[in-house]
Amino acid sequence: MPAAPLISVRALSKQFRTYRRREGLWGGIQNLFHREHQYVTAVDRVSFSIERGEMVGYIGPNGAGKSTTIKMLTGILVPSSGEIVINQFVPWRQRTAYVKTIGVVFGQRTQLWWDIAVIESFKLLRRIYDVSQRDFDDRMEKFNTVLGIRDYLHTPVRKLSLGERMRCDLAAALLHNPPLLFLDEPTIGLDVVAKDHIRQFLRAINQTFRTTVLLTTHDLDDIEELCSRLMIIDHGRVLYDGPLAALKQKLLRTKVVKFAVRDSEQAARVAALSREGLELAQVDDLTYRIRFDRARISTADLIRQILACAEVRDLLIEDEPIEEIVKRIYAGGALQEVSA
Amino acid sequence: MSWRNVGVVYRKELTDSLRDRRTVISMIVVPILVMPIFTIGLGVLSVLLVGRAMLEVPKVMVLGGERSPSVLAALHALPDIRIVPARPDYAQEISGKAIRVAVAIPPDFDAAVSRGDAAIVRIFMFQGELKSGFAANRMQKFLADYRVRIVRERLQKRALPARLADPFSIEEQNVAPPEKVSGALIGGLVPYFVILLCLTGAMYPAIDLTAGEKERGTIETILCSPVSRLHLVLGKFFMVLTASLFSGLLAILSMSMTFLAGKKILEHLSSANNWASSLAVSPKAALWVFLMIVPLAVLLSAALLTIAVFAKSYKEAQSYLSPLTIFVILPAIVSMLPGVEINARLALIPVLSTSLISSEIVAGTYHWNYIVLIFVSSCVYAAAALALAIRMFQREDVLFRT
Repeated sequence: MPAAPLISVRALSKQFRTYRRREGLWGGIQNLFHREHQYVTAVDRVSFSIERGEMVGYIGPNGAGKSTTIKMLTGILVPSSGEIVINQFVPWRQRTAYVKTIGVVFGQRTQLWWDIAVIESFKLLRRIYDVSQRDFDDRMEKFNTVLGIRDYLHTPVRKLSLGERMRCDLAAALLHNPPLLFLDEPTIGLDVVAKDHIRQFLRAINQTFRTTVLLTTHDLDDIEELCSRLMIIDHGRVLYDGPLAALKQKLLRTKVVKFAVRDSEQAARVAALSREGLELAQVDDLTYRIRFDRARISTADLIRQILACAEVRDLLIEDEPIEEIVKRIYAGGALQEVSA
Repeated sequence: MSWRNVGVVYRKELTDSLRDRRTVISMIVVPILVMPIFTIGLGVLSVLLVGRAMLEVPKVMVLGGERSPSVLAALHALPDIRIVPARPDYAQEISGKAIRVAVAIPPDFDAAVSRGDAAIVRIFMFQGELKSGFAANRMQKFLADYRVRIVRERLQKRALPARLADPFSIEEQNVAPPEKVSGALIGGLVPYFVILLCLTGAMYPAIDLTAGEKERGTIETILCSPVSRLHLVLGKFFMVLTASLFSGLLAILSMSMTFLAGKKILEHLSSANNWASSLAVSPKAALWVFLMIVPLAVLLSAALLTIAVFAKSYKEAQSYLSPLTIFVILPAIVSMLPGVEINARLALIPVLSTSLISSEIVAGTYHWNYIVLIFVSSCVYAAAALALAIRMFQREDVLFRT
């Protein structure tokens, strides 16, 4: 019998009750006496399962239901309907026992206490999570080396930079050595170096400890660098769930060829390449860019033609950026292409 | 029920709060300083104002002064008033505070007096106005002295003893024990301040631990930890209660010290037979007042938490909590009104009952039946408020209100 997946989610839904606010002054007065309820479905019959050791990206536009899903998975919110079983726990029902097996980082929040030194937060977390002093010391030592947090352990959290705080938050989330890590926008607001640092660390713990990671993000580089699998959610529904490579394979409509010719005489010949199905643009004197439809023109043919018409000094073939694909999926329409 | 987790949360909140200057100010500095500043400030202010009112040379208008040259001459001889010429609009002049009083001498006054006929001298004044009151008193005293002088002269003429005019003397003497006197003087003030400081001391932590945590976005993360919501709310509640009780305790101590110091200063300044010697809060009274405050502090802390957790931000919490201040101040003020005394029905009204019984305790009166009744009823209200606060923390739509 195959082992059960670490995370198993079935037909998960969450509805919130909100009030409809009338507009204008008169509406404001009416609101005081009578309020109309309305239900908003934040997550709509979502199903998926995640195996131990996977690193899964969970993306979607703002308000798509990402954070609500994470809050249900971490046991903060009770689902309106559907089922979650993680590591044999039902998060909201066995919350306190369950959360000892997970780590959570909210990128825009912190679990470190604002006015007190980082180390004090760690000590408190040690008590809350019942971590033995020896394990605590071992792990602190490890975090000090890998994340380099030693220098600011005695600084109050509010004085840390965002990057420093994120490192401390990651260390805090991993203090009790959870097999599962939820990250809600872990790289938001970070500079390139800090992002890279965090990504390296996540890759390392995933490889070393087979820590399962589910992360939401708006930065698709996070996905490309970390996740083999991607889930796209919008309006509370999962639009895509599968490998990143497959998504690219199916949805990459165009490719881009960039090339440089030797001299201006050669450059004059490039115009001859222009035809239907491709889009030719001059980047500077001797450099050109061709965006072409993969369905209509094969890459090999195009390269052959370019080489035939001009003396090429340099040539580069690029995929359409993943942002473009995701944009198309969010805008709708791309979904059919995937299922086709 | 794991008290260990409650303790962890409590310790965390306490550590966090003590590093926060705003909490420290509202919890420690304000209760210590309010009472001395208030007593000394008010004392100095009243001495200054009353002193200035007494120092002022009041303008007195004499109506019909020409009818009694002897009275007029005696008035002119007074050093501490100024006579102004008579005018028909004296009433307006008094209302407009241009003059303080007017004295009207009736027609044919001297003749009537010498005949032994009834004559009425009227003093026109501004009722309730301090300076007019002083001037009127001065005139009263002057006219009374003038009357005594006439009587003495008459007795002398007939060779009768002066004692005939005043067959006996009157003297006032206090028999109430000192603490009762101080109770009547300051009894109303003590609970008023202590209760108010219990509220203000707890208000800042209550907001910070709920709405503040929401605003900083740390509520989600603490809810993700293996601390149950019950333990979380209890830990927070005990922190708020600590702040409340600590403020109350400091207020009581600071007040006792202030009175002690005030007493010393006043004794030094004036004679021993002064009301100041009775200015004191006994240690026993301070202890009992504190005990009566405990269930009230529980009630206030739980109420603060319940309301503050609704708010999404610091600002919102502050505007929700300001009406609560009025609900606390109002009964405390009512208890200070003259004639409001503790009875079984009032004993069931929270805040008011504690305020009233504390006044009695400071005054040295221990109504044990009321003390028990008020303590028990306050405990019931406190338990209800705490239950409500716990329920609020279980509600998703409250914790994640958007």
